[in-house]
Amino acid sequence: MNPCERFIATMQYQPRDRCPIYDFGFWKETLPQWGEQGYPTGAKPDDFFGMDPPWRGCGANTDLCPAFKEEVLEDRGETEIVRQTDGAVVERGKTLVSIPRHISHALRDRETWEKDFQWRMRPDDPARFPPEAVWKKRVAEWTRPDRDYPLMIGCGSLFGRTRNFMGMERVGELIYDDRKLFDEMAEVHADIAIATITKILEAGVRPEAASLWEDMCYNAGPLISPKVFKETLVPQYKRITNVLRKYGVDIVWVDCDGNIERLAPLWLEAGVNTMFPLEVGTWKADPIEYRRRYGKEMRIIGGVCKRMLATTPDAILREVERLTPLVEEGGFIPLCDHRVPPDVPLRNYVFYIEQAKRVWGKNLPNLRPTAAGLLR
Amino acid sequence: MADLQKLYEAIVNGKAPDAKALIERALAEKVDPQEIVTKYMIPAMDEVGRRFEANEYFVPELLISARAMKTGLGVLKPLLTKSGMKPAGRVAIGTVKGDLHDIGKNLVAAMLEGGGFEIIDLGVDVTPEKFVASVKEKGATVIALSALLTTTMTSMKNTILALQEAGLRDKVKVIIGGAPITQQYADEIGADGYSDNAAGAVQLARRLVAA
Repeated sequence: MNPCERFIATMQYQPRDRCPIYDFGFWKETLPQWGEQGYPTGAKPDDFFGMDPPWRGCGANTDLCPAFKEEVLEDRGETEIVRQTDGAVVERGKTLVSIPRHISHALRDRETWEKDFQWRMRPDDPARFPPEAVWKKRVAEWTRPDRDYPLMIGCGSLFGRTRNFMGMERVGELIYDDRKLFDEMAEVHADIAIATITKILEAGVRPEAASLWEDMCYNAGPLISPKVFKETLVPQYKRITNVLRKYGVDIVWVDCDGNIERLAPLWLEAGVNTMFPLEVGTWKADPIEYRRRYGKEMRIIGGVCKRMLATTPDAILREVERLTPLVEEGGFIPLCDHRVPPDVPLRNYVFYIEQAKRVWGKNLPNLRPTAAGLLR
Repeated sequence: MADLQKLYEAIVNGKAPDAKALIERALAEKVDPQEIVTKYMIPAMDEVGRRFEANEYFVPELLISARAMKTGLGVLKPLLTKSGMKPAGRVAIGTVKGDLHDIGKNLVAAMLEGGGFEIIDLGVDVTPEKFVASVKEKGATVIALSALLTTTMTSMKNTILALQEAGLRDKVKVIIGGAPITQQYADEIGADGYSDNAAGAVQLARRLVAA
């Protein structure tokens, strides 16, 4: 099986040789920290750990078009004040990975929407696509008959971008101050998604999955009420997932983050059937429990607790074994529930990958070797 | 005559202009400002907190209620100061050293203010020394520490150690919260309490200052 066939078989509960072995990346500090523990400078994690080739993206620009110009407005030593491409002014650490502190947002109300954003949000703007020659080359690659990696089409975001443009405080107030505008913006995001994916799908590209990102849950649950989510976002998701299904794209995932318990059934209702990455977190989300509750309709990527990876080899082994029945059932690709933080010792991560390959990968020869021998 | 039950409802329903108008009318009718706050506004925010914890309210509803409360307090504050009304406690709140994230911290601050506490907002990336100074120089009785990241939550422990070293630990209650925080972690580092949400933080702070 090649990586693409393995991905499809896994997500569609079909027979396969083994589970794909992926990770979701690392915090900025992790690899330098691991450098002190023997990780070779400059090594690529996928190669070093012998991961399977990850999925690759296809798509067009679903964001502001054109974006705001990014510029550093002030240097404050350890931090800097920056105008981001989404128009927000933030203070961000030069070395810290923390979410930047927002100082102001360019989108505040209907007036700023109409003046500074609407013209950047035209669904049919040709600039959403690269020049013709580049575009043709990309399409040729994506439609190559012998393509052996899974392809994922990007559909942007219905809420996450509005939140980034306005800030959570303002968007929360907007839902009550000008619900019509909130709804209108969600519709525009969906229009852009539909315009871009339609052109790609009509060009003959057949991705194995589609993705949306929202990052709209935190430890206590969703950032907005399930009621508003259902009224405003579900119909827009459905417009997108209907287009995808028309072209045979069955696997649609959402980069959800946080405690998704209350939104998960609504995403399913909207045709979004894969939760990525299911974060375990302090709320102890469990992929086994999600499967029990939602059945095979819900696919899960993630579900391996990053906190657990920072503990002991025994705990890691127990967790790998606990998740194995779900891995074997399919519709589940385990990976660290978000990016790997620097307090996970390198040895623990190597141990985890080795166990994942042994148990979930069945130690098949088509697995790439883990370069952990370098550490011994 | 001003219907102060309507003020309660205006805050619960996040209607800031209504809250302001009702307070102004009550003041014109010589209603005691302290009574307005303690009998109607704080109970309204308590109800908002209850609904939040019961998953009837979410972040947007908290935000608009907190805005209505803040608008109302803006009208009342000069009169409350004049009348010598004491806050429920003085809370120095901040996101700990190394962490620039502030949404959770701002929500907790808004809910604590709505619950009758005076807020000293120290901002983000706050050093242990600044928290210590807030107790020494500003008389904070509660310190509220927020962290988003597993790597910055260790700054909470450093802040508690700094309070101990300054001989102030028994003068102040320390409460903590944020995505990676658990009760177990609060116990480990010797915090006085932990809440996993903004509404719970108000109840926690009240319990601690009353103890």
